Parts: sequence; C-alpha cells; structure tokens
Amino acid sequence: MPKINMQNLEKEIKSVISEIAEVEPEKITPEANFVEDLGMDSMMALEILASLEKKYKIKIPEENLMKLTNLKQTLELVKDLVNK
Amino acid sequence: MELGLNTIKKALHQRYPFLMVDRVIEFEKGKRAIGIKNVSVNEPFFQGHFPERKIMPGVLISEVMAQTGAMLFYDEDKKENPTYYLGSIKTRFLQPVVPGDTLRVEVTPVKITKDAGIINAIASVNGKTVAKGEFTFKAIQ
Repeated sequence: MPKINMQNLEKEIKSVISEIAEVEPEKITPEANFVEDLGMDSMMALEILASLEKKYKIKIPEENLMKLTNLKQTLELVKDLVNK
Repeated sequence: MELGLNTIKKALHQRYPFLMVDRVIEFEKGKRAIGIKNVSVNEPFFQGHFPERKIMPGVLISEVMAQTGAMLFYDEDKKENPTYYLGSIKTRFLQPVVPGDTLRVEVTPVKITKDAGIINAIASVNGKTVAKGEFTFKAIQ
C-alpha cells in the first residue's frame, strides 16, 4: 500500500468536515473544537465518521466517536487506522 | 420477518395523519427493512398538493423513508422504543408518486450506533425507483 501523504490526508479530511459542517475550510484549524468553534452536533460527527470510513475503507469503532473533537484528533485517528 | 400495524405503532410514535408506514414486509433488526405505504386518493395532503393534479409531496416521501428507517432500530425487547428525530437528509426524487401507487421503501444501515444512525433508503413503485436518500437520525433523550 502506498504511504499516506499526511498533507493530503489533512486536506482531504478538512474538506469532508467543511462539507458536512458547512464551515469554511480556513476555520477548521487543527485545534478548533467541532462543537464549540464550528457549531457541529453529534449527528454531524457521525456523518463525518461514516464519510471517513467510506473514503478510506476503514472501520472506526463507535467508542472513537467521542474522540472526534477537532481536526488534529480526527487526523490522528484516521492515520492510525489507515496504517494498520 | 413481517411486522404488522400493531408492531409498527409500538416502534413509531407518529399517528394519524402522520403514520406513514402501513406494513413492514421484511425486517431484520439493524440490517434491513422494507416498508409499504399505500398512497390513497383520500390522503389529506392531496387536497392542496395540487388541486388540479395530485402528486405526493417529496417531503412526505422522505417521511415514509425516514419512518421505515426508524423501524430498523425497533427492538421488541425494549419496553418503549425511543422517538427519533432527523438531523439531515439527502434525497433525490426521480418520479412523481400519485394516488393508487404502492410505495415500497427498502432501508439499509450506513452506520448505526446505540442512539443514532445513518441509513440509506430506496423508494420504488412497481419496481421503478421513485426516490432515494440518506438520512441521519438520533434518539430523543
């Protein structure tokens, strides 16, 4: 499997979040909190999770939903699962 | 497994004129459900939509798909099934639905967690797809 390009991965995940949460990609900084800063709710988080699963053909266990609080953590989670 | 109206009323909290599933002809909990909605000329919404040409409103086709989707979560062991609310829908309407049509809605899960889920729905009449969509739900706490 080709090595994942981290910069691309960040950009792709950002675009997924941007589309679902309907916020400008510039606002999605690594530390911006999904709920407090980007106005997301738990269902949007679930949609992001489902989109990432489909896009990267990974399975993200339900308990990880709580970890999806900002871009940085989402990126870490996907990176871990993609490299497995 | 087939589910009749009594079971549907246990699973769904909607009532007349908003109970949009007449029968569930196939049910595998959390895996697949097929709901049937017979569209009669006497449906209250046909009075105004439209007086000169009766077409089932797309939002109500969505409602049939959403309610069939909520059936996927039905758990007969639970004393009371939760009420679900919609977070988002992504729907495409392909053909008009008119009085006399039997809507058949097949739903499958995209992702289900213990209190929320995303489902896929395909609505058809006589084997022809009339609408399809993706729905995100959450149980009201």
